[in-house]
Amino acid sequence: MKKRTFLSLSASLALGLAMSVSTASISVAQTTLRIFTGGQQRPDVMRKIADDYEKRTPGVKIEVEVGGATSEQQQQYLNTVLASKDSALDVILIDVIRPAQWAAAQWAEPLDAFLGADKDKIMARYLPAYREANIVGGKVIALPYFADAQFLYYRKDLLEKHGVQPPKTWAELQAGAEKVMKAEGNPNLSGFQTAGAPIEGTVCTYLVPMWGAGGALTNAQGQLALNTAEARRPFQLWADMKAANVTPPNLAEIPTDRIRQNFQAGNLLFAMNWGYVWQRTQNDADSQIKDKVGVVPLPGFTADKAATCIGGWQLAISAFSKNKKAAFDFAMYLSSPEVAKAQAIAASHLPVFPEVYTDPDVLKANPWFAQALPVVQTARSRPVSPAYPRVSEVIRTNMNAFLAGAKTADAALADMTRDLSQVIR
Amino acid sequence: MTAKLSSLERSERRLGIALLAPAFALLAGVVLYPIYNLIRMSFSENKLTEPWLAKPWIGFENYAKAMGDERLWEATWHTLLYVIVTVPGAVALGLGLALLANQPFRVKWPVRLGLLLPWALPLVFAGLIFRWFFEYQQGLVNNALIWIGLSPVNWLTQEGPAFFAICVAIIWKTSSFAALVLLAGLQTIPKSLYEAAEVDGASKWQQFWEITLPMLKPAIIVALIFRTITAIQTFDIPKAMTDGGPGNATETLAMYIHKTTIDSLDFGYGSTLAVLMFIASAILTSIYLRHTRRDPSAGRH
Repeated sequence: MKKRTFLSLSASLALGLAMSVSTASISVAQTTLRIFTGGQQRPDVMRKIADDYEKRTPGVKIEVEVGGATSEQQQQYLNTVLASKDSALDVILIDVIRPAQWAAAQWAEPLDAFLGADKDKIMARYLPAYREANIVGGKVIALPYFADAQFLYYRKDLLEKHGVQPPKTWAELQAGAEKVMKAEGNPNLSGFQTAGAPIEGTVCTYLVPMWGAGGALTNAQGQLALNTAEARRPFQLWADMKAANVTPPNLAEIPTDRIRQNFQAGNLLFAMNWGYVWQRTQNDADSQIKDKVGVVPLPGFTADKAATCIGGWQLAISAFSKNKKAAFDFAMYLSSPEVAKAQAIAASHLPVFPEVYTDPDVLKANPWFAQALPVVQTARSRPVSPAYPRVSEVIRTNMNAFLAGAKTADAALADMTRDLSQVIR
Repeated sequence: MTAKLSSLERSERRLGIALLAPAFALLAGVVLYPIYNLIRMSFSENKLTEPWLAKPWIGFENYAKAMGDERLWEATWHTLLYVIVTVPGAVALGLGLALLANQPFRVKWPVRLGLLLPWALPLVFAGLIFRWFFEYQQGLVNNALIWIGLSPVNWLTQEGPAFFAICVAIIWKTSSFAALVLLAGLQTIPKSLYEAAEVDGASKWQQFWEITLPMLKPAIIVALIFRTITAIQTFDIPKAMTDGGPGNATETLAMYIHKTTIDSLDFGYGSTLAVLMFIASAILTSIYLRHTRRDPSAGRH
């Protein structure tokens, strides 16, 4: 009896010792990387991809930190983290509009040294727009994670029922929406929605129709050019839609994801939104419109001249990370055709590699990707400037005030010109 | 004898200084140094987005810019409106709540809980809750309007209604603090005064005007001062409800400073704005303080 107790005691001691030794040896080799992503960029899909990476890379643990739902909510948080040189984040998902600012602020570790001699070869794999967006002053600031652009989502069932073709111009869209809304007589059904709240997406609500009209924010010399007729077209367009009750009276409080929610609840006919919406409408349990959705390029003022905002998310390595090499390896994995395909199927995230668009598995999950590649290839960039946060704030604030009816088109355009002229000279 | 005492005094003083030193050091580190740094930065061009500018000293250039900055004056005006509406609003509602809580209820905790809950709630929480109340499509307020046969209102995207909605939220949130201060004041008023008034045949209304209000005056002034200081700094609730929208129509000074400094990363101009706001609130507070110092003697006459 006594002997047995002693034996079991020593056995458990030995076991405990062995266990503590083994945990110690693991903790030496263990690298924990923290990746920051947005609430709208499908952190659940990121988690699954990170699980796969953990499996194939022993000794690396990935923590996924989820930030705010909108691009500027995320950036606000990141501003404070990075301005204080916090090393808590290793890999950070940033909006396509940010690399210039991140390079200027020296928040992103330039990746040239990690890419080495293969730099040009690796960067050549990406769609040109994303290659260019991530190289600032000759240095690679971030790696593309997924592409994005704004599309027109429509209710296939309702358009077919009322004999309306998917619109190619804004006029067709308005006429079609009026026809369907009148025939349906459903007070909850809204005709068209785009972002109107004072958020990043609202910048595109202004730029897309201006580009579509043939205008641009700056002229060939890079000077601000808002004194043109094209710069007024967006105001006229949204005023007409509001007057016709095609857009809802509360457009000025609608952010990007609310449009998706309204559409998915069956309360919206046409939605101007990003690529992620497709997968949500087809697979969310609460979706009322599964198999009733069509996607086409955004309309223009004429059918041949449409424009869209380029979006998408990039992987930057924090300049303050303590594990830059490991973080870079993880970013390279995330920025691979393999992960691009997995994301495309799981989240309808548009790939940054042209060949993934024609992958049969990807096309099976997203039949509309066949049309999406030319849209992404011709999508336009919002102004590239280290002072972009200020540019964005001026445009979205004035657009929001106009959509709310708090400013006339003249006042909004005048204020926009005055404030932007301090930033873009 | 005297020499002995003074040495004791001296060692006591030394101990006193030694005991205070950590607190002083802490205050210097977390209050004085940041204020010094803020003032220093307000004279520089310090843009985090443009590090190549190398933060040059530009003298009063930021201050000159501020004087001609329409948006600053608009934000100041909005802040002043919030002070004018929500300070008396919160204190008046707080007084009502305090009088209610001071009634001899048999079960006191539901009233006390009702008083404490808004006070204990984080500001941004209150802002988000009221944002849902006033939301156009799903909001309770519009639901109620439709229910009684009126048409829904765009509360948060029109200048007037947005201001109104924010004021309602601020008053609801802050009246409970005023109520707590006033309730403490109410409980210091001796019962004998009311008994004497009762004997003399004074009505409840007369008792309120002649006893409660004058005796409560110091507490009311404390509540007003604290409420004014927090009202000048109004940030969380409008931030959560409208983010300053539509346009900049409901933007306060603190929000403008936040947008300049944190969103646009212009630390130089943001510091200038913060210094100006600090000066303005220091002036307002000193006026209040002078008033209270004079007040008790005036009350005794």
